[in-house]
Amino acid sequence: MREIVLPGTAISDQRISAENTYFDGAKTRSEVVGLYDSAHNEVIQLEGRWKPRPGDVVVGIVERVGRNGVYGISLTEAVDGLLIQDKYDNARFAVGDVIEAEIRDVEHKRLAVLERPKLLRAGSLMQIKAVRVPRLIGKANTMITQIIELTGCNIIVGRNGLVWMRGSNVAAATAAVLTVEREAHTSGLTERIKSMLEKINGNESRT
Amino acid sequence: MSALDIVRVGYVKELLAKGQREDSRGMLDFRNISIKTGIIDHAEGSAQVDLGNTRVLAGVKMVVEEPKPDTPNQGNLVMSAELLPLANADYETGPPSPASIELARVVDRGIRAGNCLDLEGMFIEEGKAWSAYVDLYILNYDGNLFDACELAAMAALASAKMPGYKDGAADYTKREKPAKINSIVTSTTFGKIDNKVALDMTGAEESAADGRLTIETDGKIIRAMQKGLSGGFSAEEINGLIQESFKKHAELRKRIEESIR
Amino acid sequence: MGSSLNKPELIVNGKRLDGRDFGELRPIKIEAGVLKNADGSAYLEWGNNKILAAVYGPREATPKHLADPGKAIIKCRYQMAPFSSLGEHNRTGPNRRATEISKVIREVFENVVITSDFPGSEIDIFIEILQGDGGTRAAGLTAASVALANAGIKMKDLVYAVSAGRIGDHVTLDFDMIEDNYSDADMPMAIAPRNNELLLLQMDGGLTIEQFDEAVKMAIGAGKTISALQRDALKRVYETKVSQ
Repeated sequence: MREIVLPGTAISDQRISAENTYFDGAKTRSEVVGLYDSAHNEVIQLEGRWKPRPGDVVVGIVERVGRNGVYGISLTEAVDGLLIQDKYDNARFAVGDVIEAEIRDVEHKRLAVLERPKLLRAGSLMQIKAVRVPRLIGKANTMITQIIELTGCNIIVGRNGLVWMRGSNVAAATAAVLTVEREAHTSGLTERIKSMLEKINGNESRT
Repeated sequence: MSALDIVRVGYVKELLAKGQREDSRGMLDFRNISIKTGIIDHAEGSAQVDLGNTRVLAGVKMVVEEPKPDTPNQGNLVMSAELLPLANADYETGPPSPASIELARVVDRGIRAGNCLDLEGMFIEEGKAWSAYVDLYILNYDGNLFDACELAAMAALASAKMPGYKDGAADYTKREKPAKINSIVTSTTFGKIDNKVALDMTGAEESAADGRLTIETDGKIIRAMQKGLSGGFSAEEINGLIQESFKKHAELRKRIEESIR
Repeated sequence: MGSSLNKPELIVNGKRLDGRDFGELRPIKIEAGVLKNADGSAYLEWGNNKILAAVYGPREATPKHLADPGKAIIKCRYQMAPFSSLGEHNRTGPNRRATEISKVIREVFENVVITSDFPGSEIDIFIEILQGDGGTRAAGLTAASVALANAGIKMKDLVYAVSAGRIGDHVTLDFDMIEDNYSDADMPMAIAPRNNELLLLQMDGGLTIEQFDEAVKMAIGAGKTISALQRDALKRVYETKVSQ
């Protein structure tokens, strides 16, 4: 059973350890607008900014180019990325390039040190709410794999909310991503996205 | 502008160069327009305009003041605009920005030059006349504040009701006759991006634009114009845009009139 | 409190001028997520008050020297629109009243917002009184609370605010503008519903200790209604129809 909780909503009369909650005396309360999943004892945030974590895959835009392979990468309004390239790495980036990278370390909660950068060439970029990214990826990647398979697009989803895509069917992929963003809190979403994309594919093969 | 905005602006620029728009409308089409009047009952007139995702609210207050020395026999029109920080991440608190001053002055010029508000009829008696204070409140920014504000100011004035007048002062407990409107001026603002011209630019399109031209008309003649940004327009181009502006006037005017009924 | 000259009769036949009972709220409507660009927003009508609240952030703190490496800072601006009152035109910009109200509202949110979550950043709260008819600070604070939650800002509680006071011998809830001007005491309060702690408290006029107790009780009673409206507004955002 999943229900919408709000800041201050008591989710338990006992102290239970769950993300996005706090202890108030003997009780546990939600800190956010979220979905409380009592089976898994978690509060899934429905709104709010992304908090960087080591291991997160992000999509960023090169904002500054320093010397010796040092780059400032724009990730979100509140979090900057820093990329220091290995001296054996010859790949060089220019201002405005879109890259995919992984977070190695987070300093002061707002500077993400990046590694393993990859240039994302000539695609299109869109932004969704970062809190909806887990739904877009899906449990064991089910949602995003389905969108990639049914549209034939190459799609990279950054935990920071930037989504890069390339392929002949970007319009369908964009529509699917926006639908997931809008309806992330509803059930049966994976099935609905599947039939939505199959319908688009069906219409196209008929014309 | 954030890095993502820069990427979006680049994308919009590419599209416009091909004669296309991010929301797939025609180059000379307006976005959806909604005009609602009578939103703020404490104001003598008010209107909220939604132009796509741009939202502005105009409020009119009628105040008894001394007429200006150079126009002792008429009332006064005072237009201000505020780019509220809740409308856009880049808007800041503080004194009026040059952009908000230009916006208010351009809207003011068209309405004044078109003699839209009957200022002579706002004279009350020796040393007393009505001043119409029009405040343009920008609530959400997504481009083309000029046309949105012109519609909002015009609809707010045209729907305004005058307070009563008693013993040399306004009597706000009464709302008497409607404010007298002589004509309706509308505005059309075009952007120029890499030699392509687009009407009613979104925020991203405005960031990509080299030049901007606002044309205000009462449907018969041009009442005010303002060219903004650094890019230029040829006389032939402007001539074509004036004709386009006349064409759009009828529809915009109808929308204002419908909002008042 | 207003001058006693020309003081209108505020209670006629045991009822208030607008027909309300002493402990009765004006009608309230709240809608969350009304502005596209803001991270969170709320529109609220409370009697004849019409209020828009919006939240941006957490975002980079400006100017940089204001940033606190240990927590997010909160900024708040309360403003009355120039066309918001029934009488004369008000000039915009900060005045002493608006500056004080902005400060006491900010302090309320400093209590409930979990600021350790985004150190070095700022959270901006903007409250625009589009139409004011008494009790705008309470109504504005109630709207801002919804806007903060709608922005996903972590908070311990969803604070509400309401004002109570005294007309003659009667402890009275939620003054409109006329009552506000001529009442004998006015006491705006902001309350955390989970423990009924008072996070904003201002008072002027005169109250006995018994009247104070009664006013607080009245505010907490009304808080059940206000809190429910705040919660409904936030939940309605997720009642979107699913695609088909």
